[in-house]
Amino acid sequence: MTDLQGSILALIQSLLERSDKADITVALDTPIHGDGLGLDSLETAELSAMLEDEFGTDPFGEGLMPETVAEIVAFYSSAGESGASVPA
Amino acid sequence: MTDPRTVVVTGGSRGLGAGIVQSFLDSGDRVASCSRSSTPQVKEWEAEHPDRFLFVEADIADREQSTAFVKAVVAKWDSIDVLVNNAGVARDGILALLSDEDSDTVVDLNLKATIHLTKQVVRTMLARRSGRIVNISSITGLTGYRGLTVYGATKAAIDGFTRGLAREVGSRGITVNSIASGYLRTEMSHGLDEGQLNQIVRRTPAGRLGEPDDIARAVQFLVDERNDWLTGHVLVVDGGLTC
Ligand SMILES: NC(=O)c1ccc[n+]([C@@H]2O[C@H](COP(=O)([O-])OP(=O)(O)OC[C@H]3O[C@@H](n4cnc5c(N)ncnc54)[C@H](OP(=O)(O)O)[C@@H]3O)[C@@H](O)[C@H]2O)c1
Repeated sequence: MTDLQGSILALIQSLLERSDKADITVALDTPIHGDGLGLDSLETAELSAMLEDEFGTDPFGEGLMPETVAEIVAFYSSAGESGASVPA
Repeated sequence: MTDPRTVVVTGGSRGLGAGIVQSFLDSGDRVASCSRSSTPQVKEWEAEHPDRFLFVEADIADREQSTAFVKAVVAKWDSIDVLVNNAGVARDGILALLSDEDSDTVVDLNLKATIHLTKQVVRTMLARRSGRIVNISSITGLTGYRGLTVYGATKAAIDGFTRGLAREVGSRGITVNSIASGYLRTEMSHGLDEGQLNQIVRRTPAGRLGEPDDIARAVQFLVDERNDWLTGHVLVVDGGLTC
């Protein structure tokens, strides 16, 4: 697992903990909504704000609607490739 | 003494906003403010409290400048505990004669700029699940006042925004309230003539116009950490004028 994957998983885990959903296991292929993490719209907004706090940008704020944890990770790794700075 | 909070007050360079900034500096908090231009009062605070007063020259009706202002506050102090949406403008004149430009100016600042700035700030509050938001509204949004149709409409809209947002973020430790202010002795009320002002004073049970401090005390009450059960409310502070 890369540092980027690790820090995104940790961030999602902390969101789940404070939403009383700590029993859910998060993996890269876990869907964000529905049967996966089951985030509602407010929790999705929180995730978006927490990602922005941590990394300066976030996929939801850019108008993308990632469906899985892996798609969130991909947003930052492709930003890295295009030269934008991504603190790990 | 509680830990200092980070407080954002828009339009704090003069008038009511300056009174609110002063009140939070007095209560030991960190205060960030913005307006289109600096004033001697702002310079004085910058010199007096370099570590807990931040001023950014910004026209918040311009989304980029508004975003840059919020980013500057978060860069300096990490998070925002209290937001007071105070910056506002009134253009008086009966609707049939009001220019489109004047009505756009009022809607762009009082409504659109307030919504945009609040969106930025509520995101940082959501990330930490706590916050206090106070929108400075006006009794003209509740009762209507001739010559202030568009202004009153923006204030009524802000009260609606207050209620909707209070419901949206209530479960996350964030409260949102409005203060419907009565007529204050600031530059804004210079649009009213002597006759209108005298009439307002005569009809006000408390027998005088409001001072910035009258409103600042109400703001302090609404943002008190203990007041987490007071949300979605429009608090009228007007010397009794509309009671
Ligand atoms: N005065 C009253 O009787 C009264 C009654 C009820 C409610 N209110 C409300 O109280 C609030 C403050 O009013 P006030 O009487 O203190 O008005 P004011 O004396 O005219 O002060 C307005 C403040 O907002 C700033 N501002 C104006 N346009 C701005 C912009 N585009 N971007 C950033 N800052 C801007 C001004 O600085 P710059 O000009 O340098 O930008 C100034 O600091 C308003 O929301 C008003 O609607 C006032």
